[in-house]
Amino acid sequence: MYTYLLLCILLITTGAYFGGKARAKTIAEASGGMRTLHSLPSHYGMLTALSYAIPALLVFALWRIFEGTIVTSLVTKSLPIELQQLSPNRLSLVLNEVRNIVFSGFASHNADPAIQAAADLYLSTMNWLKNAVAVSTLLGGLIPGAIAYRSIRKELRARNLVEGIGKVILIGCSAVAIFTTLGIVFSVLFESLRFFHAIPFFDFLFGLQWSPQTAMRVDQAGSSGAFGAVPVFAGTILIALIAMLVAIPVGLLAAIYLSEYAGSRMRTWAKPMLEILAGIPTVVYGFFAALTVAPLIRDIGQAIGLQVASESALAAGLVMGIMIIPFVSSLSDDVIHAVPQAMRDGSFALGATRFETIRLVIIPAALPGIVGSILLAVSRAIGETMIVVMAAGLSADLTFNPLKAVTTVTVQIVTLLVGDQEFDSPKTLAAFALGLLLFVFTLFLNFIALRVVRKYREQYE
Amino acid sequence: MHTTMETPATTTNLLHPSKRLRQRYRAERWFKRLGLLAIVLSLAFIAFLFFSIFSDGYTAFKQSYIALDVNFAAEEFTQAKLAHANFPGLVKKAMHSMFPEVDSRRGKKELESLVSPSAAYKLQDMVEEDPKIIGTTQKVWVLAGDDVDMLLKGKIDRKEKQSNRRLKDNQLAWIDRLISDKKLEQKFNWNFFTAGDSREPELAGIWGAVKGSFLTLLITLTLSFPIGVASAVYLEEFAPENKWTDLIEININNLAAVPSIIFGLLGLAIFINFWGLPRSTPIVGGLVLSLMTLPTIIIAGRASLKSVPPSIREAALGVGASKMQTVIHHVLPLAMPGMLTGTIIGMAQALGETAPLLMIGMVAFIVDIPGSITDPAAVLPVQIYLWADSPERAFTEKTSAAIMILLTFLVFMNSLAVYLRKKFETKW
Amino acid sequence: MKVTSILAAGALTLAITAPAMAARDYISIVGSSTVYPFATVVAEQFGKTTGSKTPKIESTGSGGGFKLFCGGVGVNFPDITNASRAIKPSEMKTCAENGVKDIIEVKIGYDGIVLANAKSAAPLQLTRKDIFLALAKDVPDPANPEKIIANPYKTWKEVNSSLPATKIEVLGPPPTSGTRDAFVELVMDAGCETFPSIKAMKKSDEKAFKAVCQTVREDGGYVEAGENDNLIVQKLQANPDAVGIFGFSFLDQNTDVIQGSIIEGEKPTFEEIAKGTYPVSRPLFFYVKKAHVDVIPGMKGYLAEFASEKAWGQDGYLADKGMIPMPQDERKKYGEVISSLKTMEMK
Repeated sequence: MYTYLLLCILLITTGAYFGGKARAKTIAEASGGMRTLHSLPSHYGMLTALSYAIPALLVFALWRIFEGTIVTSLVTKSLPIELQQLSPNRLSLVLNEVRNIVFSGFASHNADPAIQAAADLYLSTMNWLKNAVAVSTLLGGLIPGAIAYRSIRKELRARNLVEGIGKVILIGCSAVAIFTTLGIVFSVLFESLRFFHAIPFFDFLFGLQWSPQTAMRVDQAGSSGAFGAVPVFAGTILIALIAMLVAIPVGLLAAIYLSEYAGSRMRTWAKPMLEILAGIPTVVYGFFAALTVAPLIRDIGQAIGLQVASESALAAGLVMGIMIIPFVSSLSDDVIHAVPQAMRDGSFALGATRFETIRLVIIPAALPGIVGSILLAVSRAIGETMIVVMAAGLSADLTFNPLKAVTTVTVQIVTLLVGDQEFDSPKTLAAFALGLLLFVFTLFLNFIALRVVRKYREQYE
Repeated sequence: MHTTMETPATTTNLLHPSKRLRQRYRAERWFKRLGLLAIVLSLAFIAFLFFSIFSDGYTAFKQSYIALDVNFAAEEFTQAKLAHANFPGLVKKAMHSMFPEVDSRRGKKELESLVSPSAAYKLQDMVEEDPKIIGTTQKVWVLAGDDVDMLLKGKIDRKEKQSNRRLKDNQLAWIDRLISDKKLEQKFNWNFFTAGDSREPELAGIWGAVKGSFLTLLITLTLSFPIGVASAVYLEEFAPENKWTDLIEININNLAAVPSIIFGLLGLAIFINFWGLPRSTPIVGGLVLSLMTLPTIIIAGRASLKSVPPSIREAALGVGASKMQTVIHHVLPLAMPGMLTGTIIGMAQALGETAPLLMIGMVAFIVDIPGSITDPAAVLPVQIYLWADSPERAFTEKTSAAIMILLTFLVFMNSLAVYLRKKFETKW
Repeated sequence: MKVTSILAAGALTLAITAPAMAARDYISIVGSSTVYPFATVVAEQFGKTTGSKTPKIESTGSGGGFKLFCGGVGVNFPDITNASRAIKPSEMKTCAENGVKDIIEVKIGYDGIVLANAKSAAPLQLTRKDIFLALAKDVPDPANPEKIIANPYKTWKEVNSSLPATKIEVLGPPPTSGTRDAFVELVMDAGCETFPSIKAMKKSDEKAFKAVCQTVREDGGYVEAGENDNLIVQKLQANPDAVGIFGFSFLDQNTDVIQGSIIEGEKPTFEEIAKGTYPVSRPLFFYVKKAHVDVIPGMKGYLAEFASEKAWGQDGYLADKGMIPMPQDERKKYGEVISSLKTMEMK
């Protein structure tokens, strides 16, 4: 309902941009040509525009945040006293009733007159508030905008100011990732701590048996109920390893072929085709792994006299490997493609074949990007859920035999979280502890990877 | 350069290559073939998957309908509200009148089960739209039950023993009679493209999920692309190189490995419990998925920024551009293809993701089509997941059809990004 | 300044999408994935025939459902939770602590749990004793029934000579699942008690008795196959030696490819389960917050739809979907609970 307001802000911002630009030009011409200006005219325009838009949007955002509270508190005050004294959650139900009348005309036939009155008040409050928001938002930016406009003169370091603002925005965006991390750590930390109250930390970390079969009810006897994380992590590593054995060679070869051998037309269509692999829903891969690949592997295994479990790690790993091919192929293709042509030309001029050029020149030059893409693929393999849920099973054997059934961290987390058991039992809490441990584990892996990349990175030119 | 490419001592020319040169050429050819093989294998796999999905799912685009002569007798509509009339009763009467010889209670029930329960909704809609039809008899095409539909599509084996079949012998006879009377036909399944979810396979549609996916991804894209690009630019071009930025880099790489369901837990804690956003809505889904795709975009973005040769930056700085101008005017356009690749892959992943949505309530039965980002909605992979888990056999083809729709969605999204990527790509 | 303009667009979107205060005009239901296929039918019927918004039903598992349900009273919390087991005292406590004091408990019917294998294999005729011996972690030593040893049986024939000599491979739900819980209680416990020495233990040392009877083997004989029952059905087709454990409705829909195993001489058919002669079935429930009944639009209508004969009755549409109806008197009892909104006693 505020779309028109935002359009207005956009319009005024554009106007401010051109206004500031024009003013800078006039000033420049008055004082002897463009070169006397400190910055480009567009920088002055930008400065004016930002001085309007940022405060206006801030005012708007503040309104949006507090609007609900304002209306609610006004309406609550108008309610009969006995309704006001309800607990906050009960009150929210009453207010929901009010809102239902306002927005959908629901329940109007049997409504309490007090609630009906509250609904009317709600509606009128909403109406004047809407106007207040519009006016204050539009005006809110005008004063700083006008100040910026007035202060345009040829010495004004508009470029530095605009770029300063730009940099603050960039830093803000980078902070999102940091906050996400903090959020993740906090959202699993507390539950994990509760888990470690029930299960000793070192039993969890170094235990060789995973079998979350504790009692579901108080009167039911628990069975083994072992919470040792080692087999679960071993399974994760095994499956990720198999996946990488598929994805790295296929992906890398495909990337090299696309960027070095294939014609531009083939590259144009083959690359997005490969990218489709990353977008096929993981549920589909899961069915494929469980119903096509796993029985196939079992039959082949039996034909050559091997013991193969119906839900082998191999099946899940292979299919997962296929899924992450584009992570390696597309991203590596981009970095290989970006290696300067001069380096290829130099190598060819020395008589190297294409293969030799690729092996000795291009791959080393593109290495940081390639490693980055592989890291991303590994990460995806470790974090992938649905394929393993459907194809790898849940039995936590401590084994590195790819023909046996293993389980992974993600499978355990999902099964523990969506099961029928009580939510505060060690079983569910174990999911959080596993998440936390996985987080620490991958952090460690990435730390090593960064060290390795740093060591081998070759900056060309 | 390495020393392996020294000219051999023996004289050699292109017409008479030496053994060494022949070896090098052979390696070259093998390598090229391997590369081609890798691509062909991957594409063959896609072709195989597409083929198997298509061959399972194409039947879902047709649906069986039965023609009923429904008598909207006036005495059925004596209640105050039209909606309270006994519409299922009308359907049953119409079926009985077609097969008057069926009189046992059990036989009647078996006969009634040939028509979908949705037939009653259809009659209700008709009456509410045009109350004038009360008192007349109308020929109405209503959906056949899912078992009838499966039989017509050849997915129920007539030769199977009666006890193992969902349709009994007498039902088969009725169906054959309906077909020969031209009262049972397969028509194009428009309903599939316009309806929301349903527990009756013949009534279930994909539009609710398509719209839910669209709204969710819109939010994901508008948030994760600008934030991802900006973070990549800052970290790669502006941030000082020290322990802190190393930590941030490790941290972002690490986020990519966090299982997606954990992002769901995060979304539950922050967006739903703390911000108070409504559960099961595209806004929450979009926010969670953008947090999930951010690392992918940032990592791909940084890799492509790294691959822009330093000479470009030096040249721009040399003619007096500021750092910001250098990045925005010169480095960023060159790095754009890589960033778009990261975005495509990230969005593709977001489009196919189910696990985090489990925690924020989007794995749910939602019939009504979402109108805005704050209405409850399902998304395509969730719909696929839910249908795949439904007991009714007829959902199998719907599942495959839904996957086809999702892939179309994906191809459409990708081709747009590929077009943009092509526009930005340069080889220097 | 392309980046800035993109960023501005992003900020605008954020501003539009900032916390909106939409009202909730639909019923919000969470809970068990076993009840989900039945509750959704009722919800759809309710939505399509009354013109109200169709209730939103999430499949979160019973435990997750109670966690959300007991979070508190208010629009942000669900109105109803489905469960494939009764609420536990500790969950009632959480509910009470969060102000959810008046809960209505409604039993809606039964779900049969079946064992089945592919049509291409021979049907199995099992007793609960056989199942116990095949699946328990520890079993009585055949030579000396007083002694408990690790399960030595590898094939069905070793368990009972009348069974085929195929490897024991049972695909079943994981320990976190309510289906597993019910299976253990109804089948394993009963099978266990056929051994006099263990039965004697029940009186002397109940804990040890349960440890023996309820622990499922983890050496590959029992494969935890997750909660997707369709997947289990398809895995059975791919592997004729395997036996699966899942809900009756999946057997009902797939009678052409899989066959139910006969347990204690009873076939797992709708009639046998409804009569109670087939021994393995468990009750299904839902729980309603009384405080929400008058406030959230459509609550009464939904409850009435659920409790109508055309839904949960003997020939109702829920029975068509594979739910086993309650006997007449139980239906009457819970129908009255719904119409009078009788709350549970808080323990």
